[in-house]
Amino acid sequence: MSTDTDETGTETEGDARERLLALAAQFYDQFEQGDVPHMDVPTRTKSNIEYDPEQKVWVYGDRKSTRSANSVRGAQKLLKVIYSIDFLANQLEEDRSSTLRELYYLSESWDLDEAQFNSQDESNQLIEDLEIVSDVRREEFHMRPEESGAKVMGPLRLREQTNRGDREIHCQDDVGQGGYQIPNDPDTIEFLDNDADFVLCVETGGMRDRLVENGFDDEYNALVVHLGGQPARATRRLTKRLHDELDLPVTVFTDGDPWSYRIYGSVAYGSIKSAHLSKYLATPQAQFIGVQPEDIVEYDLPTDPLADSDINALESELEDPRFQTDYWEEQIELQLDIDKKSEQQALASYGLDFVTDTYLPERLDEMGVL
Amino acid sequence: MAGRQSTLGEEGIAEELAESQRQISIAEFFEKNKHMLGFDSGARALVTAVKEGVDNSLDACEEADIFPDIYVEIEDLGDYYRLVIEDNGPGITKEQLPKVFGKLLYGSRFHVREQNRGQQGIGISAAVLYSQLTSGKPAKITSRTKGSKAAQYFELIIDTDDNEPEISVDETTTWDRPHGTRIEIEMEANLRARQQLHDYIKHTAVVNPHARIEFRDPKMDEAAKFERAEGAALPAETEEIRPHPHGVELGTLLKMLEATDSYSISGFLQGEFTRVGATTAEKVLDNFRDRHFGREMAWRPPQDHEGDVEVAVRAAVANKGKDATKSFAREVADTIGERERIAHHELREIVDEAAEDVADGFGTTFGSTVREKATAAAWAEVVGDTDDGEPRETLASDLYGLVDDATSSRKDDATLSGLADRIAAKFLDSEDERHRCTRDELDDYVQRAAENTEEYDDATIGETARENVREEIWGAMVTVPDDPPNVSTIADDRDSASQLLEAMRETDIISPPTDCLAPITERLVEEGLRKEFDADFYAAATRDASVHGGDPFIVEAGIAYGGQLEDGGPIDVMRFANRVPLVYQRGACATTDVVKTINWRNYGLDQPGGSGIPSGPAVVMVHLASTNVPFTSESKDAIANVPEIEDEIELAIREAARELKSFLNKRRSMRQRREKQDKLGTILPEMATKLSEVTGRPTLDIDDSLARIMNNVLLTREVEDGTVRLVVENNDSTNAEPEITDIVTVEPDSVEADGDDARVVEMDGEWFLKWSPTVASGEEAALTYEIDGEASFDVSVDGIESAKLTVDGEQ
Repeated sequence: MSTDTDETGTETEGDARERLLALAAQFYDQFEQGDVPHMDVPTRTKSNIEYDPEQKVWVYGDRKSTRSANSVRGAQKLLKVIYSIDFLANQLEEDRSSTLRELYYLSESWDLDEAQFNSQDESNQLIEDLEIVSDVRREEFHMRPEESGAKVMGPLRLREQTNRGDREIHCQDDVGQGGYQIPNDPDTIEFLDNDADFVLCVETGGMRDRLVENGFDDEYNALVVHLGGQPARATRRLTKRLHDELDLPVTVFTDGDPWSYRIYGSVAYGSIKSAHLSKYLATPQAQFIGVQPEDIVEYDLPTDPLADSDINALESELEDPRFQTDYWEEQIELQLDIDKKSEQQALASYGLDFVTDTYLPERLDEMGVL
Repeated sequence: MAGRQSTLGEEGIAEELAESQRQISIAEFFEKNKHMLGFDSGARALVTAVKEGVDNSLDACEEADIFPDIYVEIEDLGDYYRLVIEDNGPGITKEQLPKVFGKLLYGSRFHVREQNRGQQGIGISAAVLYSQLTSGKPAKITSRTKGSKAAQYFELIIDTDDNEPEISVDETTTWDRPHGTRIEIEMEANLRARQQLHDYIKHTAVVNPHARIEFRDPKMDEAAKFERAEGAALPAETEEIRPHPHGVELGTLLKMLEATDSYSISGFLQGEFTRVGATTAEKVLDNFRDRHFGREMAWRPPQDHEGDVEVAVRAAVANKGKDATKSFAREVADTIGERERIAHHELREIVDEAAEDVADGFGTTFGSTVREKATAAAWAEVVGDTDDGEPRETLASDLYGLVDDATSSRKDDATLSGLADRIAAKFLDSEDERHRCTRDELDDYVQRAAENTEEYDDATIGETARENVREEIWGAMVTVPDDPPNVSTIADDRDSASQLLEAMRETDIISPPTDCLAPITERLVEEGLRKEFDADFYAAATRDASVHGGDPFIVEAGIAYGGQLEDGGPIDVMRFANRVPLVYQRGACATTDVVKTINWRNYGLDQPGGSGIPSGPAVVMVHLASTNVPFTSESKDAIANVPEIEDEIELAIREAARELKSFLNKRRSMRQRREKQDKLGTILPEMATKLSEVTGRPTLDIDDSLARIMNNVLLTREVEDGTVRLVVENNDSTNAEPEITDIVTVEPDSVEADGDDARVVEMDGEWFLKWSPTVASGEEAALTYEIDGEASFDVSVDGIESAKLTVDGEQ
């Protein structure tokens, strides 16, 4: 089960630090040769992602943008990069960790005003740049997001390395109603054994609670993973590992609107912002349960009309390389046609048990999961 | 517009005023006209008196080729103000004295075209008269001519009954100026227009950079000095020119006709006007003939079936011998047949020629009676007035062709035929058998024919169609060869004179010569601004001469920007005509209008609301030099809105403004460059320090990187084994032309340089290597030389702004 970890690039911490310092050395050399310090970063837009048939995920294309010190803006960016390298190298040396938000506030303490971040978006983006350029994952920098990963409920026993030593946890027996909290770096988890038949990723907390209350995980041997909107990296990483290491089919259950399709997209194909990590985070085999536009028609679900922003989002998805499959084109065009969207909770219009007794079993059966 | 200068200038006002002056006393006259003379208030009187005095002094000095040095002082005497104006001009003799200072409106110069200040006002004599009328004091004049031992002191009084100046005191005095004139007058006045007074003096100093002016008013502790600009030359001498045919008005023309010695109009035109030679005179005369006599309609000669000219002519000739008659008739008929169209006088010429030929060949004389008969007979054939012919039909069919050509194809045949037929009738109805008519008469024919056609043929013939038809027919008509009336006949006949004027205006005539103008010139406009305004930037533009009416003119513009100029409010617009500042009526002036229409934001000045006078630390000056400045009114304070002049004003201002724009752009980009450099100057060293710290490597030298980043010009020196190599690297986007001087303590040997050759000069044991390469954008150039032993270097670079230059590798 740990055969994949080497391949997906879990380096030792010494490597992470060395790679960061190598980047600094590269700037140093540029200066020494009288060049203008600069670094190339892939352009992180929809038009610059392409399908990697080998990994079956979407990765960045060849277009690059250059961050160069030949302008005040570029110089400031590079200055912040170098300060961040310094900070991260120290953090790794001291074996500590910090959150993205902490980095943002921490920059306030740097002596040079120009090196400080103006917004958290800026520091987040900078960390992503660093990941790409140094080929070291944020987790290896010991940087984590403010919110930790979401929760898992289901017949799985695992071992997690914590600051207080290793803990063995069963994700039904040893946890409360809330489930098992996914740690920031799921690579610290070792899967022990399980009785699961498949993974069910759920968008909303309400639906997750409904499934747990109705005992769906127990009845169908499902690992219910709460996505909580756009899933955190840790959630996606864990999902991928569940698929790759435990050979479990992965299904995604969301609302029936364009924003939810993107949630599925990031689980299955990787997100545009982190396409450099797609091979590490994406689960291309993940299947979409619904709510499909088709279901809206078939189950005659209560709906809301599409807003202008929904229509724009759907049209934009039609151009998104990740959604250019027959299935998605058919579904999106159908939705544009009926001009309606539905939430997961709309299924409750047929009773609280409808989703667990009827909808999910029917859909999972159709998909060949059950 | 109340009228242009030509009716107001010396030839206009002067004569008009002089006329009225004969009937009333000079005092009364002055009282009546003081608004026109600029003495309508005590405040204005002082400005006008200063203005007339200074103009007078400037003119006197320039005429004598002396750099003007003028002193103006105003003293408050309690009841009156005393004005003193002194110059270093040629001085004035007793005989000239009354003419210059005494006699109002003396010596009005009739139709002279020359650029002179005098155009502006009525002369210093008005100030003298005003002072005498208000204070009762005589004008006190001190004058010293060049070379004379003593100065002369005069007191001058004007006899207000007959406008005759009288010199009441004439005595020898001493004066420290070697030559010059001083006039002292006392008058009722006040200083309410002090600002205008100061503006006038300052502006005068701007446009007369060759003059030195001192000015003092009662509120000043000491005189303000306006120094001469260094290297300013006297204004070029101007040529008087004769008027241009396009520049005269009827009154002037009539006067010129009366005054000329020429007998013929052609001689008059060639003698009295510029740019008129024999050819042009003939063109004017043809145009005059068309108006005065009208043209004759030229008809198509009869076709074979339409008549037989030869037969008719033969029949008209009696008793001249068969052969001669036959030859005569045939020649007439053949010549007519060769013509496309023929007019009556042309027919007569053919007959005359044929008669001469027959006289030569047969010895038979065809006298004028025979010729007339032959002409009449042939003309009858041409117009179809024969036994079996119907003239109206003949002419109508001829006219149909012209009408058809002139109108759109949408007109139906019946309408065209109807119109042609009715026009033909008009020609036949006219009393003139030669079918001669003026353009106006022709227009009448066409109009009436068209109206009748509309009425009876239920057709529509629009105004354009009528005009086209008229022009088509007028084009087919022929100018007659009649001799124009002589000069004296036209001089007595206003209508003929008016026709002549129209003919002159209609004729294309090359523009008048422009050497009668003396622009200040770009350089001196800039100098003038430079010496009077403490600014960061100056620009000036002098346009080429241009013409409006018959008068050449030149527009110049100047701009000063920044420095000590006041910021915040609207900019100051200084207006000048023939080097004289225009102080009043700013809002009515073409100059102001043009300044307001320009989009100054394009040129880097603020312009609230996008139009109007821009604001910012700037002044704009506009100078119009012309033999005839068109003013809006008698007071001559504002230039009239003449489109040709406005266009030139705009072009001149824009020309100067473009320089301002590039200055401001450059300044902005320098500022940005400096800001960028400042910012990078902090960031990059911090970056380098941090990098050394993070990587644990030695401190970095980042000057080369900085130079690259700044698009700088980088100069580096490498010294190795006695070989020195200086490299200029141009990271800028344009060519760099550094002037490099390398001072070496030992003699450089084997000097080799890219591009420009380097020169070595020895001075006091040091060798100066001078090298001025041109380095294209992104390129480098190298200078190498060899030295023997230890040496030290000291390099300096000129020709590159210091912000853009990085000198590296200094030892």
